Parts: sequence; structure tokens; C-alpha cells
Amino acid sequence: MQISPDILFSIMGFPITNTVVATLLTDIVIIALAVLVSKAVTLRPGSLQNAAEAVIDYFKDTAENIAGERASFIYPWAVSFFLFIVVSNLLAQVPGFESIRFYTPVSGHDGVAFLRAATSDLNLTLALAVASVIATHCLSVKHTGIKGYVTRFITFKMFPVFLFVGLLELVNELAKFFSFSFRLFGNIFAGERVMGTMYGLCSIGLPLPFIALELMVALIQAIVFAMLTMAFMHIMTDKLH
Amino acid sequence: MEIIQKFGLEAKLFLFQFVNFLIVVFVLKRFLFSPLKKMLDERKSRIAQSLQDAENAKIALENADEERKKILANAKSNADKLTASVKASIDESRTEAIEEAKQHSAQILEDAKHQAAAEFENMNKEIGKISVNLSGKVLSKVLSDLFTEDEKQKLISRALEKIDENITN
Repeated sequence: MQISPDILFSIMGFPITNTVVATLLTDIVIIALAVLVSKAVTLRPGSLQNAAEAVIDYFKDTAENIAGERASFIYPWAVSFFLFIVVSNLLAQVPGFESIRFYTPVSGHDGVAFLRAATSDLNLTLALAVASVIATHCLSVKHTGIKGYVTRFITFKMFPVFLFVGLLELVNELAKFFSFSFRLFGNIFAGERVMGTMYGLCSIGLPLPFIALELMVALIQAIVFAMLTMAFMHIMTDKLH
Repeated sequence: MEIIQKFGLEAKLFLFQFVNFLIVVFVLKRFLFSPLKKMLDERKSRIAQSLQDAENAKIALENADEERKKILANAKSNADKLTASVKASIDESRTEAIEEAKQHSAQILEDAKHQAAAEFENMNKEIGKISVNLSGKVLSKVLSDLFTEDEKQKLISRALEKIDENITN
């Protein structure tokens, strides 16, 4: 299994990889769930609405606990990251997800997997990291103002101490791209490799504990990404920091 | 560059994933967060309203209880007053009735006395008359042998007059 996703075919020069297909499948599931919930929103919630409310309430309450009034701007991002990542990760755990083969002129006799966990593609995890950081900085400008935002990185107070601190903050912000993207990518990709190895050794029984482990990782990674986004948004929108 | 190729990083794919995620965020905001938030707010306000209603109902119940106690106290007071009034009225009526009965019995007694006296007088008169008749007959019987008819008539007349005077006195 290679690190980069397999290209299935191209549309007008745009490469359609197996992770792109998985991403589109994730989109379809999320949008379908969202539309289903929105169509049947009632004061007495059904099971689907209950689940959606539980997720939203959890992140809303957590955001309110750490960010107070700014929670209403923060929690939609956290929930979006959580839902997208968790759905993507859990879809990859569906039995037979990677078993569908696709044959291309360069794929050889075995072909390539038609689907692969979307979050095992660094393009996606990096895109999520960039979205998280950009959203965080936009919220920071909105809540602290341009001056407050700029002085977070460049200030001449106690020169050159705070200028150096600002520089470290800038490096910290750049490091977020790597930490966010590689943490998620590494966990999911490594999980896929482990599962592949276990299925290769013995496809009956042996993979079961690893499936449980991967289900946990799928959930935990989604929560970690969402929580970190929420924490960074709180820090960057707080005028005290 | 080699490491970027190894990881399969590609600008087109990255941009696609970035835009795709923003679209998902927009869809979630439009179809999930907004209606759910609206519904959650409505539910929250309904719960708050229900709690307020419950509080109001509790206060109303307390007021009603207070009112009930007041009404009961008033009713008891009125009942006591009424009972006392009725009792007084009954006592008064009884006293009046007794008084009236006494007067009536006294009247009856008085009438009986008068009637008895009248009866007694009538009887005296009757007895007197009977006595006069009897005396006359006895005297005429006794004196018939001793006196002439004329003397006898005179004596009888004088005796009867005396008897009559005695009886009248």
C-alpha cells in the first residue's frame, strides 16, 4: 500500500483518486443525514435528531465552557470537523470498503482499491488543517480587531522580547498545519496498514480487536481535531492572550 | 519535492478537498445547525415558559389555599353568628311562649274562678229557692194542724221572707 492515493481516472486533467471518491461518499452521507434531520426537526426528537442534538449540544456546551459568548461562532466549526472526520473514518471501517477493485491501464493484474479512507490522504488532512487555521484567524480578526490580531505577532513592547514571542507565535501557527494534518493522516494511514497486515495474516478472528481499536481511533481522532480547533479558536479570539 | 510526491500532495486535490470541506460546512450550517438551533432555542424557551407556568400555578395554588382558608374562616364566623342568633331567637321565642302560656293559664284560671263563683251563686240561689220551697212545705205541713188557714199563710209568708233574707245575706 502506497502513501499517496491511487488515481482511478482523470476528468479534464483533474485526477480522481480513491480518496476523492471516498470524500464524495462522505459528503453524500453527511448531506443526506443533515437533510434527513432538517426535514424531521420536531420538539419531540426521533433517534436521528436525538443523535444530532447530542453531538451539537456536546460541542456547544464545551465551547460555552471555554469561550463563553464566542461559543456560537466556534462550535459550528468544531461540529463540522468532527462530523466530517468521524463519518469519513467510520465509512472506512465498513467491511469490504477497500475490497472493491478498480482496474486501470497502469494498475496491473490486481487493480487498485476503488475506495480508500478519505483521511488517509494528506491532501484532505492538510485541507482540513488549513481550513481550521484560516477559520481560527478569521475569527481572531473578527473578535480582537485588526490591531489586536497583528499585535499578537508583531509588537515592540519590551523590545525585543515580545517581538521574539510574536515570532514564536507565528511559528506555532505554521506548525499547526503540520500537527493537524500529519496527526490525522498518520493515525488513519497507520491504522489501514495495521488492518491490512492483520487481514493478510489471518482474515478470520485476528482482525477483530484491531477493528475495535480502529473504531476507537476513528472517533478519538475526530474528537481531537474538533477539540483542538475549538481550543485554538478560543485562544485566538480571546483579547487577553 | 520528492517527499511531496511520495505523500501524493497535489495542488488540485488539495484545493478540491478544501473547497469540498467548505461546502460541507455551508450545507451543515444551512441544513443542520440553523434548524436544530432554532428548535433547541424554541424548546429551551418552552421549558422556561413551562417552569414559569409551574411557578405561577404554584403561586396560584397557594393563593387559592389562602383564599379557601379565608372563606372557611368567614363561613365559620358567619355560621357561629347565625347559630348564636338562632339560639337567641329560640330563647326569646321560648320565653315569649312560656310567658304567653302563663298568661293564658292565668286567664283560664281566672275565668274558671269567675265561672265557679257564678255557678256557686246560681247554686246558692237554686238551693235557696229549693230551701224556701221545702221550708214552706215543711211549715205548712207542721202548722196545718195548729193554725187556721189565714194564720198559717201569714206565718209562712213571714218565715219565707226571713229565710229569703238569710239566704240573700
